[in-house]
Amino acid sequence: MNGLLAVWPREWSRERRSTATIAVASLALLLFLWVLGRLLSLLPDPVHTWAGEFAKGTVVTLELTIASGLLGMVMGVLAAVAKMSRIWPVRLVAEFYIWVLRGTPLLVQILFVYFALPSRLSLTEFHSAVLALGLNVGAYNAEAIRAGIQAVPKGQTEAARSLGLKPLQTFRHVVFPQGMKIALPPLVNNIVALLKDSSLAYSIGVLELANAGNRANAQTFLPIPLFTTTAAIYLVLTTVMTQISGAIEHQLDVEGRAV
Amino acid sequence: MSRVHPVTGVRQEPFILAEQVNKHFGKAHVLRDVSTRFYAGEVAVIVGASGSGKSTFLRTLNRLEKHDSGRIVVDGIELNDDVKHLDAIRREVGMVFQQFNLFPHLTALENVTLAPRKVRKVASAEARRAALELLERVGLSEHAHKHPHQLSGGQQQRVAIARSLAMQPKMMLFDEPTSALDPEMIKEVLDVMKDLAASGMTMVVVTHEMSFAREVGDRILFFDEGRLEQEASPEDFFDRQENDRIRAFLGHIVH
Repeated sequence: MNGLLAVWPREWSRERRSTATIAVASLALLLFLWVLGRLLSLLPDPVHTWAGEFAKGTVVTLELTIASGLLGMVMGVLAAVAKMSRIWPVRLVAEFYIWVLRGTPLLVQILFVYFALPSRLSLTEFHSAVLALGLNVGAYNAEAIRAGIQAVPKGQTEAARSLGLKPLQTFRHVVFPQGMKIALPPLVNNIVALLKDSSLAYSIGVLELANAGNRANAQTFLPIPLFTTTAAIYLVLTTVMTQISGAIEHQLDVEGRAV
Repeated sequence: MSRVHPVTGVRQEPFILAEQVNKHFGKAHVLRDVSTRFYAGEVAVIVGASGSGKSTFLRTLNRLEKHDSGRIVVDGIELNDDVKHLDAIRREVGMVFQQFNLFPHLTALENVTLAPRKVRKVASAEARRAALELLERVGLSEHAHKHPHQLSGGQQQRVAIARSLAMQPKMMLFDEPTSALDPEMIKEVLDVMKDLAASGMTMVVVTHEMSFAREVGDRILFFDEGRLEQEASPEDFFDRQENDRIRAFLGHIVH
């Protein structure tokens, strides 16, 4: 679904259409959060009674996604760079991290972080969930970013080096920006998946959206309206997120491949 | 090692000295004992069939390819694994590629200013001013804010030349700069190169453009199967050629 981008007048420039899409989608998201509680309370019971819980849970879900998404981006870049390092112990650490985090269930990782890490770290449920989700998505991001960086043509490095740029400058100003652009579509997929996977945080008692629905059901035994509401809110969130990321992709696409 | 300058009569050291340069790609022996010199102010044109090693030789001159044995000295600095030497040389030797290799995420102007700002630490405003001047020189000042994909191949290659000139190199290497261009765009790039040669720039040009070689070249180098087969003045090379193999090569190309 890339609907919003196509709505704007044809004569608008690519940048203008993307910026407008990002602005409108972000505003829509804020507005949605703002009115969600009131909107849901207009519905009949049991959603009416639980409207406030749903609204709070939605905010927590977004907070989880944004915080772990940022951590995952940092981890992804670090692990991708480390995996391409010339120093083998660095490479080994990165490969181990990616291997473990992609090879074990996310639920187990969340439980591990919450229960098995030393208690003197005294991580809250929320912070445990952010850590586990961020590390997990970071491992997937690392592969996407590495593939993106390696897809940048060798001639780019040669041109930069022959202009006298040092290896680090070449990476920072020439290879990395282009690699990130190539990696953007899979990174967006990872973030949308993360938004949905953040529901696993319910297992350690984080009061996020899925947990709100689950708790409401435990008290009312009315699964159909409650889980329909839960799913509908997730669907709105992923749709808005896809719109925003599609527009960002469009804006970075200076080669104009995507029209 | 030194030579007497053909016009001024001044004795001059070579800017680049190559001695017995050898290079392998796996089992293929792509450069065989290549020895030559390039002098400041000279335009040397390297010709030869595809796969003759001419591009590889050019790329060894700023160490985009490492040579296996022999010696290459650029402006008194020997090319080896010493990174400091390499950076010093690459600041002085510009390179223009067959595929342009412009940075697609940057505008033409940003392509030209990147290296001066990051390597020479020129202030942004100054780098910009100098870049606009260079883009003007290659006839592209009105395209300064376009991205490479919005430019034709010929325009992209001219931006690439401006980008290289922005580092104020003492010498420019051209690796088949017109081979990826449509015929109608070749002239605009060759014209820029002719202006550059006329301004006294030292140039080594790998090309299939024989009319350019004859008109602009001070010296023609012919490569064949990894060997530097012949070095000659354009007159001797084109008009008084005695080597049958080269005559055959020229027969295929010159019409």
